[in-house]
Amino acid sequence: MPALLFISILLIAACGLIYELIAGALASYLLGDSITQFSTIIGSYLFAMGIGSWLSRYISRGLVTQFIWIELMVAIFGGFSSSILFLTFAYTQGFRIILYFIVIAIGMLVGLEIPLLMRILKDRFEFRDVVAHVLTFDYLGALGASLLFPIVLVPQLGLVRSAVLFGIVNAAVALWGTFLFKDQLRSPQPLRVACLLVLTLLCGGMAGAKHVIAAADDSLYADEVIFAKDTRYQRIVLTRWRDDTRLFLNSHLQFSSRDEYRYHEALVHPGLAANSSARRVLVLGGGDGLAVREILKYPNIESITLVDLDRQMTDMFRSNDVLTKLNGGSLASPKLHVITADAFPWLEQSTDMFDFAIVDFPDPTNYSLGKLYTTAFYRLLAKHISANGMIVVQSTSPMFARQSYWTIVETLKQAGLQTFPYHTYVPSFGEWGFVLANAKGATYSPPRQLPKDLRFLTVSAIPELFEFPADMQPVAAEANRLNDQNLVRHYDREWRDISH
Amino acid sequence: MARHQPLAIFAMPKRSKPTQLSRREFLAATSAALIGLGMKTDKPIAGEFVNESFQLGHMLRDRTPFPAPTKKEKFAIVIVGGGMAGLSAAWQLERRSFRDFVLLEMDKQPGGNSRWGENDITAYPWAAHYVPVPNAKATLVRELFEEFGALKNGKWEERYLCFTPQERLFIHGRWQDGIEPAVGLTDRDREQFKRFDDLMQRFRASNNFTIPTQLGMDITQKPDIAALDRVSIAEWLQQQKLDSPYLRWYVDYACRDDYGAPASATSAWAGAHYYASREHEEKGPLTWPEGNGWIARRLIKKLDSYIRRNALVHRITKDKNRYRILAGDTEFTADSVIFAAPTFLAPYLIEGMPPALTKDLVYSPWLTANLTLDRLPREIGGTETAWDNVIYNSPSLGYIVANHQSIRQHEDRSVWTYYWALAERSPLESRRFLLEKDWNYWKEAILTDLARIHPDIRDCVSRLDIMRMGHAMIRPSVGFMFSDSRRALTRPHAGLERLFFANSDLSGISIFEEAQYRGVTAAQQALAIISGSQESTAPTA
Ligand SMILES: Cc1cc2nc3c(=O)[nH]c(=O)nc-3n(C[C@H](O)[C@H](O)[C@H](O)COP(=O)(O)OP(=O)(O)OC[C@H]3O[C@@H](n4cnc5c(N)ncnc54)[C@H](O)[C@@H]3O)c2cc1C
Repeated sequence: MPALLFISILLIAACGLIYELIAGALASYLLGDSITQFSTIIGSYLFAMGIGSWLSRYISRGLVTQFIWIELMVAIFGGFSSSILFLTFAYTQGFRIILYFIVIAIGMLVGLEIPLLMRILKDRFEFRDVVAHVLTFDYLGALGASLLFPIVLVPQLGLVRSAVLFGIVNAAVALWGTFLFKDQLRSPQPLRVACLLVLTLLCGGMAGAKHVIAAADDSLYADEVIFAKDTRYQRIVLTRWRDDTRLFLNSHLQFSSRDEYRYHEALVHPGLAANSSARRVLVLGGGDGLAVREILKYPNIESITLVDLDRQMTDMFRSNDVLTKLNGGSLASPKLHVITADAFPWLEQSTDMFDFAIVDFPDPTNYSLGKLYTTAFYRLLAKHISANGMIVVQSTSPMFARQSYWTIVETLKQAGLQTFPYHTYVPSFGEWGFVLANAKGATYSPPRQLPKDLRFLTVSAIPELFEFPADMQPVAAEANRLNDQNLVRHYDREWRDISH
Repeated sequence: MARHQPLAIFAMPKRSKPTQLSRREFLAATSAALIGLGMKTDKPIAGEFVNESFQLGHMLRDRTPFPAPTKKEKFAIVIVGGGMAGLSAAWQLERRSFRDFVLLEMDKQPGGNSRWGENDITAYPWAAHYVPVPNAKATLVRELFEEFGALKNGKWEERYLCFTPQERLFIHGRWQDGIEPAVGLTDRDREQFKRFDDLMQRFRASNNFTIPTQLGMDITQKPDIAALDRVSIAEWLQQQKLDSPYLRWYVDYACRDDYGAPASATSAWAGAHYYASREHEEKGPLTWPEGNGWIARRLIKKLDSYIRRNALVHRITKDKNRYRILAGDTEFTADSVIFAAPTFLAPYLIEGMPPALTKDLVYSPWLTANLTLDRLPREIGGTETAWDNVIYNSPSLGYIVANHQSIRQHEDRSVWTYYWALAERSPLESRRFLLEKDWNYWKEAILTDLARIHPDIRDCVSRLDIMRMGHAMIRPSVGFMFSDSRRALTRPHAGLERLFFANSDLSGISIFEEAQYRGVTAAQQALAIISGSQESTAPTA
């Protein structure tokens, strides 16, 4: 029998095994528990191959044509299997359904291959040679694939490209087939065109593999992404839909331009308006300049120090037109000193004193961020606050994360501060919490006057912010400490409960 | 509008973690590995063996002749060895306003097993790296920590307590919180852990297991507790029908971690001590970037004027009532000697040292390495690097992150201290093996171990220095804790009056608290004799 024929059998066999391995690896990576994933995928795949073999009996005419169509279908299903699965995982809830659908589809098609081939070859050669040779090369191909997969393909190409590459191999074998078996084909031309089409499609897929992840990524934001950047510290994404601009840091929504004024007015004014002698303000986090915009409404404020970890954030909010319109160009104010630094060590080395400090960090989603919500941190911060000064801390939602919220309050207390918890409603976040804090013995009463151009807060509404309805009232909590960060655990559990 | 309200009620709570997004994070984390070219660079890794003391040790062992002294100095007390025990002896003498002493340390940097290093990223430990939060009984330790500001008005400084997350274990292909295995256990395993905990609780209640050990040993030991010293902890587990592989690993890990010995070579009394002596009033332990070097550093600063560095003591003789101590080019004379160097060296150094005294001392060989990471390996599955990171069923003990106690939110680089007690073969064989293999061998062994949990580790590490310690720490072998020879070391000897052993070896358990207790006790004994006072404050030993 011609060697070329057997090389194509070997290639087909390799392709079949590669798709199976890819599905198994991908499922283990994405879903975890590799033993279960691999067993169920191998099981379904083999079972589907059985169905394919059985179905082969119903194909009675035009064996070669059918065989070539099957190859092309395997090429498409197999070649795009990883891309489709990655995107499904990102876009939909139906990952498992699509996964098993693809595995079974490929399995059935691959199951058809060998019986058909044998039948094609049985008239040309001795049957016992056909069986022996076809199966030998089938198994050899499988061996090659199983070695190639972990040693070369995954490390060098990754799953998406490996799948596409083997799709190309399948399609090439199909094209080759039209020449190998040309005497058994009545009209090979349309088949060849189809092969070339599939090949082109797959080569395009190879070129576009890089974009698959990016696409999967963007799909998670509902709106058009107008800006996306990976900085050393985070992924900054800005989206826009009509007049609504949203900022996401590491996929966590930071504000929506439709209602951010509610959040930032509530963050700044209840504390700052109550202290008419305040001169110097510190902002930790808040590189978007929106809190600074509110602070600039007070003529008595002489200097504002903004400490943010990420220079790219402050640069972007200083230069981008859409964003400077949002923050009113606050980051260009001559009163403002922008310091690019990690807040905790910066406070440690600084000797500056402030009359008001705004702590606007991202929520405590991990232990690194959680350090900025500890007794040690608040104690250090308090050392930088003047006798009549105050601190305000954005403190997640007292409704969705009630335990977390009251943990932050308790942490401030354990750091030796008096606390004045309050909350407000921000439509894009829901019910949101803040805590004002000052030194023991100092006083606080809600402001009797506010800057003129506010859109949300009124003098009479402020005292009500300090009232907590029954479902947000204090719960027993323990302080969050560097050596016992219970806040991150509470936070994780509470938000997880909500999103399920 | 509807478009904007994907979760109509909660409307994407600010900065929350909806499932979709954590999935996205996951994709971002794994994408580099799965998609695109995996960049396989064989990055060169620099490094060498550091702090080697084999040579000096072998010179002492082989009694290599040293040049005759050219200088003479006289002190009431000479302390030999500047590890924690020697430094603690000096600390005690100074506290008692006694100034007529000197401390001789062979190395250029005192600290011994609490020595540390430093690079442009962080300080890092070479061996001892933590102290469990001392309870009220550990008065000496508390006194020291008060002096250095770690304990104020009964409250521990938050920044010195190990930050969350403290420990994690890589088991069955994933990370879990804490070192006690929790993944893959059957009900039977859990029942055994429970039974084990109950037994330890009972031992704790006996008050026989204390830190320092001497306090609890002074109380009469119930026979069943003293009997623990006559079997290995592995045998004891068997006797108790505790055969869960997870529990056995856990106990074996503790023995290797604390004593450098496998469970099969550790006295059950010592094995139980690890669990039964600790009752924490605060979540700890206490730790610093340079590990216990933090303590050493402060002691050295305070006692600097008494310390002689590069002063290898090679001979100690006694004529009449004076000791002659030869170190470097100087002959020191002293009324009393506090011998805080490892005790196994005594027969090679001290004239007239009865060999029977040290015959039961067994030491565990160790290897530690400090890895400089120019970038951090990817963490799959959203877990964060803990302070102590352990691999289930690895021969190593895992690694400690030196800059874990950083108050930064973001660290780009790190130093990891990797620990490996060579416990698989006998100490003698392991020691030979340790010396035989070159740096490259150990580097590969370490990176291969770590690659199981961090596949990209080789791309992160730029430097890997290794410290080999043939006699790293005393081993509480079966029978050693209650042996006559161990007890004899804590008492004066005919012919060696006014010479006090002080190394942590004497306790059979090598930890900071024991080193301090032995050092302080020796200092008190020496003082009592020198001042000739009757009121001996020394605890009965
Ligand atoms: C890898 C490892 C990890 C450890 N981790 C911990 C831990 O996390 N926590 C903990 O509490 N304990 C730990 N320990 C135990 C540690 O041994 C003790 O905490 C303590 O540091 C022992 O102090 P020492 O003074 O008794 O002995 P050593 O530290 O051995 O001190 C002996 C000193 O004598 C010097 N010396 C030796 N010979 C001479 C000579 N001839 N002349 C002059 N000087 C000489 C040595 O250079 C050394 O400085 C660890 C030990 C090891 C090996």
